[in-house]
Amino acid sequence: MDPAVPLTNPSLFGTDVDRGFKKAILHLVKGGPERRAIEAGQIDAIIDPESGNAILLPATQRALIERKAGFRSLIGLAFDWYWELDGHYRFVSHRGATGDADAFEEGMIGKALWELSIDNMSEADWRTHRQQLEWRVIFRDLEVRRVDRAGGEQYLSISGEPIFDDRNEFKGYRGITRDITERRRAAAQEPYRFDRAILDALETPIAVLGQAGAVLSANQAWDRFAATHSGVGAGVAAGSNYLAVCDEACGTEQVDGRAIAAGIRQVIGGERAIFRYDYACDSPGGRSWFALTVTGIAGNEKACAVVSCEDITERKSGELLLGLEFTVARCLADAGAATAALKSVIRAICETQGWNCGRYFCMDQSAGALRFIESWGVPSAVIEQFLEKSRGMLFRPGAGLAGRVYQTGQPLWILDNARGAGVSLTALAPETGEEGACVFPVTADKVIGVLAFSGSGIRDPDHRMLQAMQSIGNQLGRFLQRQQAADVLRRSEMRFRVLTNLTSDWYWEQDRDFRLTQVVGCGAFGITDTLGLTHWDLPHVVLADAGWAEHKSQLAARWSFCDFEVATVHPDGEHAYYSISGEPVYDEAGTFTGYCGTGVDITERKRAEIGLRESEARMRASLARAHPVGRRPSRQKTS
Amino acid sequence: MVRKKKDRGASGPVAATAVVMVLYITDSGPNSVQAVANLEAICREHLRDNFRLEIIDVLQYPLRALADGIVVTPSLAKLFPLPIATVVGNLSDKSDVLRALGIVE
Repeated sequence: MDPAVPLTNPSLFGTDVDRGFKKAILHLVKGGPERRAIEAGQIDAIIDPESGNAILLPATQRALIERKAGFRSLIGLAFDWYWELDGHYRFVSHRGATGDADAFEEGMIGKALWELSIDNMSEADWRTHRQQLEWRVIFRDLEVRRVDRAGGEQYLSISGEPIFDDRNEFKGYRGITRDITERRRAAAQEPYRFDRAILDALETPIAVLGQAGAVLSANQAWDRFAATHSGVGAGVAAGSNYLAVCDEACGTEQVDGRAIAAGIRQVIGGERAIFRYDYACDSPGGRSWFALTVTGIAGNEKACAVVSCEDITERKSGELLLGLEFTVARCLADAGAATAALKSVIRAICETQGWNCGRYFCMDQSAGALRFIESWGVPSAVIEQFLEKSRGMLFRPGAGLAGRVYQTGQPLWILDNARGAGVSLTALAPETGEEGACVFPVTADKVIGVLAFSGSGIRDPDHRMLQAMQSIGNQLGRFLQRQQAADVLRRSEMRFRVLTNLTSDWYWEQDRDFRLTQVVGCGAFGITDTLGLTHWDLPHVVLADAGWAEHKSQLAARWSFCDFEVATVHPDGEHAYYSISGEPVYDEAGTFTGYCGTGVDITERKRAEIGLRESEARMRASLARAHPVGRRPSRQKTS
Repeated sequence: MVRKKKDRGASGPVAATAVVMVLYITDSGPNSVQAVANLEAICREHLRDNFRLEIIDVLQYPLRALADGIVVTPSLAKLFPLPIATVVGNLSDKSDVLRALGIVE
């Protein structure tokens, strides 16, 4: 029996009803303080003196009803159904929390829970639950699965508590049911959500391919890559067929496309576990390089391979630039002349960077301007014409791109025609259609020239590119400087040779053991095969031992010697006479390395001397015979 | 509902001896809720551990209210120290309550 028995229908809120109620109440209350409190509205209920029941005043009734309604509203947020069971555990009541009368299953009133269409509870599970009910314990979150009216899976969580009457006798159970289907689905997706979050956090584009090559799933980086790049494999969003795109690649990408498609098929077919391939792709920012890796997936019905594309542009650019530096070094090492070296270096740079032509300008000190020296360009009439025009050009320091670079010693990049106010038209040559220019200095302790390149693929230089240009400019500068010095030396040597040829018959050099290492001219002492021999070992040379001893002592003392005369007797009996002069040679460290000198054939002079001496001897003999000793020759009178 | 409380930390004039009280309320009726709040404030201010309070919900224990001679709710009955005193209403008149409890402000 409800202890709160309202005297009036609580749904009536008319003023007359309240006044009448209050009047009836005041009949029951005799005390002054109580009456005053009632009048003041400070009383919630009065106690019926006969039954002891509390009679709620209207305001209290209304407050309790509102509270109950509010409580029900809150409870409705926590569960979906409220139910009651009788003492035999059969449903006697099942209401929706919001007042909706639909039960989660039709015809469940009068049935026990285990008699409903629940398919995830075994006999043992039901025995356990019935035991709980027999023990009259509270049970919480009993999760059951059933097929709902729409044929879908529905998951329910049921909690209940026993009901006892005033005599503490068991009456049944009451409880709540919550539909947890969405929660279970979300929980089932949770591991994949975590995996997906990890994939999306990666910067490397990754896609999962199916058996036929379709992209089953891709991370955000893959989507961005597909949207921002063109070329093989680009633009393949989830749902598209990656193999088909590769197969359909044409033009310059056909080779890459076919190779990638073949590799992927091998991985999907199980012929190989992993396939790697580096390829280039054009993007708005220029050419980019990617390292494609395809890895097979085992144990999954749908997914067969994982494709990842790592951006290796920076690494590849670095490799290319390093290779270019080596190529330049090799060109300079292999080249004989400066012009050949320049042409090969310019060509190597153009071919590596994809530029169309390059020119080298050297500072002509006498003219005070940069003069065109050498160039290279792709085989094109326009480019050839452009290079031909450059031949007669002069750039004063500060004038044009070349002049500015020479003056500042810093490289200059022009990315398109819109930039660089004051840029010389001859540098960009709009008739060639070139969009950009790159000019950098050639240095050897100072700027000695500039290299100027034109092309449509010139991009903003990065640190590595600037480093490479500086290195190449320095390599080339030092090479040209050495070549220039070598030219000067060669000319000097040529002049020396000419002079030597005019004043001597042969030029000779000896090592520190005085063995001949070089003989230029007619041969030492007229003997052609002399290398490796000392002067005193040469065949046919005739000189007294004392003479050689003196000469050797001079050599040992590292003295210069002049006009050391030697005679030779050839097998035919002919005598010849030679004179050699020489001086010691030292290296940069001051170490004695040998002798060098010249030799002259003095045979004619010597014969003349000999003839003269013989003639003098004959004359003396004649005179002696004509005028013996003691007899004065008579003076002949002359008139 | 029966609740028994002890409060600590009085900040006003303190009763010399322990006060035993019973508050009769009607579940969460508006005046009953207010009476509980007002009484808790008075106990905190004027009684340290010096009180024993029992709260009776007459909807649950109607016979108790009848036996104790309660006519209306909320009502506060001071049982000790004597004399017994009763205050009816939501106890918003603090001086009335203190007088009934024998506390001089």
